[in-house]
Amino acid sequence: MRLSPLSTLGRTTMTRTLLDNVNYDVLNTIALKKMAAEKAIADASGVSLGQVATALDDLESQGLVVTIGTQSLPTDDAVPALVATAATRYANLRIDPAVLEMATKFEQVNGQFLKAISSWQQVDVAGRKITNDHSDSEYDSKVLDRLDKLVSRLVQLIAVLSHQDGRFDRYAVRFIRATDLVLAGDLAYVSSPTIESVHNIWFEFHEDLLRTLGQERGE
Amino acid sequence: MTTVLAEGFNAFETTKSPEGTVKYLGSPQDVIQLLSSGKLAEHILLVRGGTTTFLSPALSMGAIGIITMSGAPESHLGILSREFQTPCVMTAYLTSSDSRYVVGKSGDAHFEEMAANLEGKHVRLDVTDSEVGRVVLMD
Repeated sequence: MRLSPLSTLGRTTMTRTLLDNVNYDVLNTIALKKMAAEKAIADASGVSLGQVATALDDLESQGLVVTIGTQSLPTDDAVPALVATAATRYANLRIDPAVLEMATKFEQVNGQFLKAISSWQQVDVAGRKITNDHSDSEYDSKVLDRLDKLVSRLVQLIAVLSHQDGRFDRYAVRFIRATDLVLAGDLAYVSSPTIESVHNIWFEFHEDLLRTLGQERGE
Repeated sequence: MTTVLAEGFNAFETTKSPEGTVKYLGSPQDVIQLLSSGKLAEHILLVRGGTTTFLSPALSMGAIGIITMSGAPESHLGILSREFQTPCVMTAYLTSSDSRYVVGKSGDAHFEEMAANLEGKHVRLDVTDSEVGRVVLMD
């Protein structure tokens, strides 16, 4: 269904040429973040800044990325290119029983995580959800403890993927950095959408996992 | 007399009451086009799902209100809307129609009917109730 007018902005003829690993990692990071500057792309992907700049030029010339100011955004052709490449790059991973078991465990942990984040944002008072003003330190501590346990479980699950592709190690590094900041008292790193918060990293990992496995996200 | 075009789950209760013309966003390209137009703040954004992840740039660049046709307040988009304090009516349904979103069962017809009835309308989001968000016709 497309009800808005088609735009030609950033579009070229659809290409099904598979992406090399660096271009995949850079484009995948942009697609996961939806909008990212070079430094953030390098940090999240583990690709050097120099390689990121080269990859962005390449991806833009292929019509897979468009730049607005300092930010790179994926075009409509980006995800199809990633999906096609992932099918080949991760063909063996997709039939690995350990990975499939990991993915099943992730779904359980993910459901608990989304509830925990909602509990961080809102407090149930007599059946009415109101914004958590973080004045109840005991309540907050319980939610943070829950989130910390869930992140620890996820980091263990990520190790299964890292055996197959070392790029997934970046998620563990980023989670540890974010949780350390939370434990140090910077509570914005729980769920702020504009920084490397636990929720942002978690969400990116979920999207990445689905693409890696060739699965669709459910509602 | 107030005309409520659609209702759904309210992602969070707020006295904010954004007004704008409903614009359906079906793809990342639609978002890029809207951001490039500089008219983001004129629109209430209509998307299919609570997991419509390509909407994130619009939220971070100042989207004023969102209507989703599926998804729960606990979904990613619900969480983001609370973080950005952007009013968001989720799994909205038309008050003039019996069609309701059912996970895994609703086909394109449901979404197309929603979009056809909402796109281009000048509306206001009433999200003052803790549970129900309303899309109110302004013209």
